Amino acid sequence: MADTVVYLYALVRPGVVPDLSPLRGVSGTAVRLVRDDRLACLVSDVDEDEFGETALRTNLEDLRWLERAAREHDAVVAAAAREMCTAPLRFATVCRDDASVRARLHVLGPQAAAVLDRIDGCDEWGVKLYADPSSPVPVPAGGSVVDEHGATGSGTAYLMQRRRELADRAFAVEQDARAADDVFAVLAESAVAARRHRLQDPQLSGDQRPMLLNGAFLVRRGDADSFRALVHAVAYGRRSIAAVLTGPWAPYSFASTEQDP
Amino acid sequence: MTATLEPTSVRNTATSLVDLLDRLLGTGVVLNGDITLSLSGVDLVTIKLNALISSVREAT
Repeated sequence: MADTVVYLYALVRPGVVPDLSPLRGVSGTAVRLVRDDRLACLVSDVDEDEFGETALRTNLEDLRWLERAAREHDAVVAAAAREMCTAPLRFATVCRDDASVRARLHVLGPQAAAVLDRIDGCDEWGVKLYADPSSPVPVPAGGSVVDEHGATGSGTAYLMQRRRELADRAFAVEQDARAADDVFAVLAESAVAARRHRLQDPQLSGDQRPMLLNGAFLVRRGDADSFRALVHAVAYGRRSIAAVLTGPWAPYSFASTEQDP
Repeated sequence: MTATLEPTSVRNTATSLVDLLDRLLGTGVVLNGDITLSLSGVDLVTIKLNALISSVREAT
């Protein structure tokens, strides 16, 4: 029989924890709890042949494996977050055994308690903004007028027209970036915390529209409806921007023990 | 008025893998396990993933 190692999902408070037996974790494993005095951790016993260091390096580059494991990991974290205050751990955190997990919980205790206090009662919402390529390119005030001097076929007129188009497009990009900053600021103000993820590569997302914002917002559960309404309001208030709202997520983006940059 | 809003529920529809990976690889409490990949290791994974996904797209 292959050796097992311990896969870690998320940190929770060590008090009363709901029944974990219905949960299935990565590779269909049972989910259980490892406790320290001040902190507990949701874990599974997994096969070292799949989650050991060598195996992980290979598996993380296998898209099918990565997708399945990521979804299984999220299923545990999301289920926990619905029932209790849950601080997700970074994906693919693996320890040798329970003693090793406990030693780390002991060290992490005070910092983790602060994280749990910060995210308590909150969900994460994602707001992605895209430039809408179907919208007309906005023209700067007092901007381009039809060139009446250049005759058709005139090289100079063509170049002037081309230069004007490029300038208009640059103006549009600048406008879009500013609008995304404004939307982020407005939403951040009504959230407990906010951060910007790296813009997604169109090759990864499959969305060819230029991405303007990949935002994450920590929102109190009771404020979710008003936050959603605010996303509607600010998105509809902006010309040429398309918004996509995702969530609620477990508070992944706000479970960092490091200070925000 | 060209703005559109397409609310997607994480629970009801397939969560986009890239949204999930933004969160799973780039965030979360870092607890250095015995086998945890270093942060630079994870960055490397996402970069390699780029190449991988484009090759998958080309193949299908």
